[in-house]
Amino acid sequence: MALSEIGNRDSQARSRELAAFRAALTAWLDAHHDELKPRYALPGTLDEHVAQMQRVKSILFDAGWMQQGWPERVGGRGGSPMLRTELGAAIAGRDYTDPGLYSLIEVLAPTLIDFAPPELAAEVVPRLLSGAEMWCQGFSEPGAGSDLASLQCRAVPRGDPANASTWVINGQKVWTSLAQYSERCVLLTRTGPPESRHRGITAFFVDMNTPGISVSPLEMINGEREFAEVFFDDVEVPAERMLGKLNGGWAVAMSILPYERSSCFWQRIAYLYSRLQRLVDLAPADDRSAEILGNAFLALYALRARSRATQHRLDGGVALGPETSIDKVLVATAEQTAYDAVRRILPGVIETDDSPAGQVWRSEYLYSRAATIYGGTAEVQRDIIARRLLELGSAE
Amino acid sequence: MIDASERALLEETVRKAVANASATPGGNTPVDTVLATLGWLDLLEAAPREALDIVFGALGHANATATILDDVVASALGTPPRSDLAVLLPRFGAWDPPGRIERGRLRAHGLASGRVATARELLLVCGDATQVCVEIVPIADAEIGPVQGVDPDAGFRAVRVERGAAVARPVDAGAWQAAVAHGRRAVAHQIAGSCRAMLALARSHALERLQFGRPIARFQAVRHRLADALVAVEALESALAAAGDEPNPDTAALAKACAGRSARTVSAHCQQVLAGIGFTTEHAFARFLRRTLLLEGIFGCADDLLLSIGRRLLSERSVPALIEL
Repeated sequence: MALSEIGNRDSQARSRELAAFRAALTAWLDAHHDELKPRYALPGTLDEHVAQMQRVKSILFDAGWMQQGWPERVGGRGGSPMLRTELGAAIAGRDYTDPGLYSLIEVLAPTLIDFAPPELAAEVVPRLLSGAEMWCQGFSEPGAGSDLASLQCRAVPRGDPANASTWVINGQKVWTSLAQYSERCVLLTRTGPPESRHRGITAFFVDMNTPGISVSPLEMINGEREFAEVFFDDVEVPAERMLGKLNGGWAVAMSILPYERSSCFWQRIAYLYSRLQRLVDLAPADDRSAEILGNAFLALYALRARSRATQHRLDGGVALGPETSIDKVLVATAEQTAYDAVRRILPGVIETDDSPAGQVWRSEYLYSRAATIYGGTAEVQRDIIARRLLELGSAE
Repeated sequence: MIDASERALLEETVRKAVANASATPGGNTPVDTVLATLGWLDLLEAAPREALDIVFGALGHANATATILDDVVASALGTPPRSDLAVLLPRFGAWDPPGRIERGRLRAHGLASGRVATARELLLVCGDATQVCVEIVPIADAEIGPVQGVDPDAGFRAVRVERGAAVARPVDAGAWQAAVAHGRRAVAHQIAGSCRAMLALARSHALERLQFGRPIARFQAVRHRLADALVAVEALESALAAAGDEPNPDTAALAKACAGRSARTVSAHCQQVLAGIGFTTEHAFARFLRRTLLLEGIFGCADDLLLSIGRRLLSERSVPALIEL
């Protein structure tokens, strides 16, 4: 509790600034709704969803919104990162884009800003923000899921590691979201000995059209092919595409956490509020519905309260750490509770409704089952909480 | 508003004082006396947020018994609180005004803190959703019975009043809502303090208790229960912080509902980790469990609050954001 009080006056000033930003943004989005809304018929294909997201980003970039909250040295307009959180939440809440796809910006652009050579960051970040490019994140491997530090995709220098101008990559990634649409990939590779774990990992920014890369989309449980396997066969990458230091890739991977656990979560919360609203619009006005909705609303509200405090702490200069595993558990629980509520209140919709709206509910319900798996499983989060927050020592 | 360092100092002072007072049983509610000496009523007036958060949190953490919820409710109703004025609370699980005036007769029943045993007067609220009035009656007009129940140490009494209606002071209907909201936040802070204490007890036990040749804290099943308990406590504390930032009846109701849910989660996991010893009265856990079972019903249990919130969502067909960044 004490933490949430620190910098309280600053955070109140920030809240006022954000309220003004939100009001201006809302007015602008209202005025441009027809331009921004999806043009495909529901439920739409993944191709259509991706094209819609890039179109929305481009409109928002042209109007100057997309640059808000990003540093000026990468073409941004400065200001608190919470401005871009507000933007992401507004467009997710209005169904202009899928928050899962959109939030990739938050897990990729900060990496480039913090770890790429400045000229490279200045060149490519605006392309991501404006929708001119899509990027993906090559972290997980068939043998490295929860245990990311065991990854094996290998990068070998052509010559001496200190002076090599080219690195050659061989190996495989998996669960790489939107790889088939991407121009670039933030890739984690093994550069130390096989057993060097987190000390022997290096990150690269790889062009996806480099010879030797092949992408094989995987069909998810909801029928979409959002993620893919990516194979690297003697892929040559220039040394200046190294992100961070040689064998410093773990720091690159960990640096994503504060953005993933703040901005991305707030966007997800906005999206979940919009789904609960949709459910409240459809639910029969009886006490069975009221009870289920009341419980789902509490899960979502408590998450919102938690995430709000987390973001004000980040904004006040606190380095986020293992305590965000609590936010992660709450977001996963709230998402599954919300979609369980859909299934309980709208009988047969998930299971048998083939109307466009039914297809959307079904796809989202099935996708929500992944909330306790991606971004670190529920079990990994609980172990972090036990070890780092409760200081229970290591497990057996 | 007080700054972070003042707040930390105040919290430490109150925690120590409450813990010391409640560790020396006997005497007439010594915790109340200690709090009065520390300037409780001034704090309630000058910094209500800290009064609820720090003082009720400390009560929960020490499982201390005090009667200051009466002051919180009286103050929210616009009546200056004093130590000889007790307040009639709604009966267990309810949150409507405890009194009714019908055909010139005042009838009321509900719960009251231990203050009612020594107070000179009793404040009671009569009315319904539209018309509310406050009446202060001599304590002699109240029929006061003990409540043993699940937690006799909490000192609650069952109180019944029936008399001719005197000069009741009409108040804005919102005043009762405000009183309920303040009461809910106070009780929820107390529950949060209890949850922290239960978790600390279970954590220590998990680190010290050896089975199969190692501390049970090494077993993942135990670790995950305690992790879930921490998630529940922190969710509650976030809901309480939000209710402090945006004080209104809705955020207070959600904080109280969250308190009920979190108390069940935390007590269930902690009791399971404590296993045999947590099932005995030798261990402090039992007292916390009993107290939180009782506190959940003050100003509404989680199930009833959430049903009521769900009905509102349906009748308004709207999911309110309530808090923004």
